Amino acid sequence: MKEKIIQYFNQLFEEAPKTRKALELKQELTQNALDKYEDMIQEGRYSEEDAYQNVIQSVGDVNELFDDLEEKSLLELPEKDRKKRAMLKAVAVGLYIFAGVIFFSLEMISAVVPAYPFDGIGLVAAGLICIAPTIMLVYAANMYPGYSKKESMNMVEEFQQERYRSGRNKEIMGAISCIIWTAALVLYFLISFTVGGWHITWVIFLIAACVQSVAVLINSLRMDKEKRP
Amino acid sequence: MSITSDILRGHTEAIILSHLLEKDSYGYQINKDIMKKTNNRYELKEATLYSAFRRLEQAGSIRTYWGDETTGARRRYYAITDFGRQAYLSYKQEWEEAKEMIDHLLQ
Repeated sequence: MKEKIIQYFNQLFEEAPKTRKALELKQELTQNALDKYEDMIQEGRYSEEDAYQNVIQSVGDVNELFDDLEEKSLLELPEKDRKKRAMLKAVAVGLYIFAGVIFFSLEMISAVVPAYPFDGIGLVAAGLICIAPTIMLVYAANMYPGYSKKESMNMVEEFQQERYRSGRNKEIMGAISCIIWTAALVLYFLISFTVGGWHITWVIFLIAACVQSVAVLINSLRMDKEKRP
Repeated sequence: MSITSDILRGHTEAIILSHLLEKDSYGYQINKDIMKKTNNRYELKEATLYSAFRRLEQAGSIRTYWGDETTGARRRYYAITDFGRQAYLSYKQEWEEAKEMIDHLLQ
């Protein structure tokens, strides 16, 4: 019957946020219920089943307790930031679509109109428009709050901090490759327009890919060093 | 009876504080004491009791620590703080006033 009580609380807390506070509360409530059950059995006035029912009945509505725990959930964004983030992402996607439309319409114009003077203008316009949403996405990815070391570290927290650090690292790498590719795009057009060597300047993109690989390599070496002091 | 338990529930935090004035205690012990003092007529729901603990803790009226029982049962104890003592005293005074007024009004 004691197993049944423990099971009951395990089930009850399945819906609760997975935080240390929630775990402690579960332990506390379970111990409380077990103490009570034992007392009732020792009094001798209750059958095991009655005592179990009585213990479960007296728990009451635990949802008000869960609400309290919710706020303490780690790495949870405040409501306002979450909305802002969703908004940024939505606008960014909209801009990407807009860039695509611009590209195709300008290309079509240049195909229809004979002797169109601005060859490749569609690509330039689309590329320039793409810069804004890319910046937005990188910003949105960096909106997670910093992890602060408040209480004494235990294994769970250490794990969480580790996970947080690697998430942060991914964001930094995303920002770096964004810079590399935007720079490559700008250079491509600048050099091509000034020199006019359209047939060869696309090599810039290959160089950009190479630079990015080097950046990834340097970063992973740095991570390894941090892990093994 | 429903009025009685409603009124009692409204004073959960003060009841907890007055219990902790005597000695540090844990959830079930406090609930047991309440039952004993009321001749088994009143018992707090666990959810009510523990959300009151959380509120008191957030307000700084109580602090908690884990006891180190050797028997294996690990209990979380609650202790009253100086701030909690003050809160209790002002609460008690307010209650005396309210009680007097209600007594007069219902005569």
